[in-house]
Amino acid sequence: MIDFSSPRHRAKFGYLLLAPAVIMMALIIIYPILLSVDISLQDVRIARVGGDREPWTLENYRWLTSSAEFWNSLWVTAKMVLTVGGISLIIGLATALLVNQKFRGRSLARLFVALPWAVPEVVATVIWAWMLDSSFGVINWALLKIGLVDQAIQFGSNSTAAFFAVCFVMIWKGYPLVSIMLLAGLQSIPEEQYQAARVDGANVWQRFFYITLPSLAPVLGVTSVMTTLWVFRDFAIIYVLTQGGPIGSTTTLSILTFEQSFAFFRMGQGAAVGVVTLVICAFISRALVGRFANSVH
Amino acid sequence: MATIDFKNVQKSYGEVHAIRDFTLHVEEGDFCVFVGPSGCGKSTALKMLAGLEATTGGTISIGGRDVTDAGPGKRDIAMVFQNYALYPHMSVRSNIGFGLKMRGQDKAEINRRVEAAAETLELTDYLDRRPRALSGGQRQRVALGRAIVREPSAFLMDEPLSNLDAKLRVQTRSEIVNLQKRLGVTTIYVTHDQVEALTMATKIVVMRGGVIQQIGSPETLFAQPANIFVAGFIGSPGMNFFRGPVEVVDGRAQTRFGEQVVPLSVAPDALRGGEAIFGIRPEHLKIGGDTGTPVALGLVESLGTEKILHFPTPEGQAIGSLQKVIGSDDAGRDSATMLARVIDDRRYTDGETVRVALPEGKVHVFDPETQKALS
Repeated sequence: MIDFSSPRHRAKFGYLLLAPAVIMMALIIIYPILLSVDISLQDVRIARVGGDREPWTLENYRWLTSSAEFWNSLWVTAKMVLTVGGISLIIGLATALLVNQKFRGRSLARLFVALPWAVPEVVATVIWAWMLDSSFGVINWALLKIGLVDQAIQFGSNSTAAFFAVCFVMIWKGYPLVSIMLLAGLQSIPEEQYQAARVDGANVWQRFFYITLPSLAPVLGVTSVMTTLWVFRDFAIIYVLTQGGPIGSTTTLSILTFEQSFAFFRMGQGAAVGVVTLVICAFISRALVGRFANSVH
Repeated sequence: MATIDFKNVQKSYGEVHAIRDFTLHVEEGDFCVFVGPSGCGKSTALKMLAGLEATTGGTISIGGRDVTDAGPGKRDIAMVFQNYALYPHMSVRSNIGFGLKMRGQDKAEINRRVEAAAETLELTDYLDRRPRALSGGQRQRVALGRAIVREPSAFLMDEPLSNLDAKLRVQTRSEIVNLQKRLGVTTIYVTHDQVEALTMATKIVVMRGGVIQQIGSPETLFAQPANIFVAGFIGSPGMNFFRGPVEVVDGRAQTRFGEQVVPLSVAPDALRGGEAIFGIRPEHLKIGGDTGTPVALGLVESLGTEKILHFPTPEGQAIGSLQKVIGSDDAGRDSATMLARVIDDRRYTDGETVRVALPEGKVHVFDPETQKALS
């Protein structure tokens, strides 16, 4: 019998305790990834696990490189990542700076900042879909009343409007996480650094650029990775709001994966899009996390 | 270089008065130490001088200029913080030069002055490192460098040594004093450590509960404490106190310490009532002579030739609850134990009976009501 309390065997006990979790992870994370790689290498319409399998081929990837749909969705995804990521970072930082100040009702303000995050994605999107509706929506009504537009914006059929409507809802849903993360980052900056900077004669902007931003850099890095990956992966908001339309203007890589696999039943091609998405995401997170991890002091 | 003046400065947080009637004049080139137990308001006073805290009343001037409502950057001061407050993402060079950069100095000038400051503080080899790659003592010097490079009219230091280990603290203490003497910049230094205060200051401000207890040179504070609190706070080990009767014989006041009659240098008129509180420093007690009160030693702490002898206060002469007033840093010292500090080659053993005598002229007399010193 091994005595697990002895220093020599203590590590083994740790591994023993970790084993179930590691096995579970392998089954529910690694296996599906390998499975989708496997499907992407077969020229199949409907994949059946355990059934007859097709020989491995690069046909799906060949289709990918020559498909206008794929390049379009890659472009849409990139635009969306930059728009949503950039704007939610700015709004998140602004709200974090705001609720980091001491003022009456701060806890309530913090709650409101975080609220959109707590609303289920589909529920939030359905509500926004109603508000953005071109016939009954409150947003068009308000825009018409104020006089910013002469006729209702067709969020469903105008490509640009649809793209920005999706971005808007994504930002609305995504900035609270950024805000919460950055608030935690802000709170870890020692007050003395600001006091020292004030004694050194730094004004409020100088304190922001020389103290706040550099101190937040690691958190900003991690947060932008998370937001980027979230935009890459997000499906519910786009699908509920526009289903990828009109004419592919909101078809991101995840929407394309879904369309190919479950609308057109070309699972091989769908899996190929998914695998490419996975590779892109892995590279982005490696690059960003690596870069910002280096600047962590 | 500049004078610093506080005039009736007040600070309150709602109902709580953190600082009351703070009035102080610091001469050009003075090394002034604010000392007191934690929560006495010394750091608050310093922060008000720095402009990091608003005053509730009164005025503060630096070099004759009223700065009560000026921002910290407009007071021409530099501050060293307890945890150094170095900017972790900047090199030592940028840390030291930050204040100059914020004031819009040109690059060459900043570089020249940073390098001069680094040389003064022996930091030249570390200029391109980040603060995290430095030891505690080096970080401390960077913080000092940040202060001296601007050549401000005053240095403010908030417990700058408390994060260093004991040996480095003593070494840095003398470095700071030498630096201050060389630069001649008026310095306000906050500490809770009376040893630091005594060794560094030219002027000490003892504070308690937001009120100044006494202002004076280290010698004055040591020899003529204004009240029981200052008497107990300054000196290590702290002063011994005992309660004693006041008798007047032939027009001279005297008291008793156990069997010994102790003549007092205080005029009998000053002594109201039949009793007073007396204080005697541990190093002033005469041990082992032929006269004095016999006491049984409770504990002997030997530091080689120097010894600290503990013995009980003569019966009925303990000061009881007044002990709480005393700000001595020997924690847990009880009111019924007295200490004597002797430097001799004699061996003392626990339980041994020796005679303790109080020399004339070394006994401090305090009013039991007001706790003020009588003279």
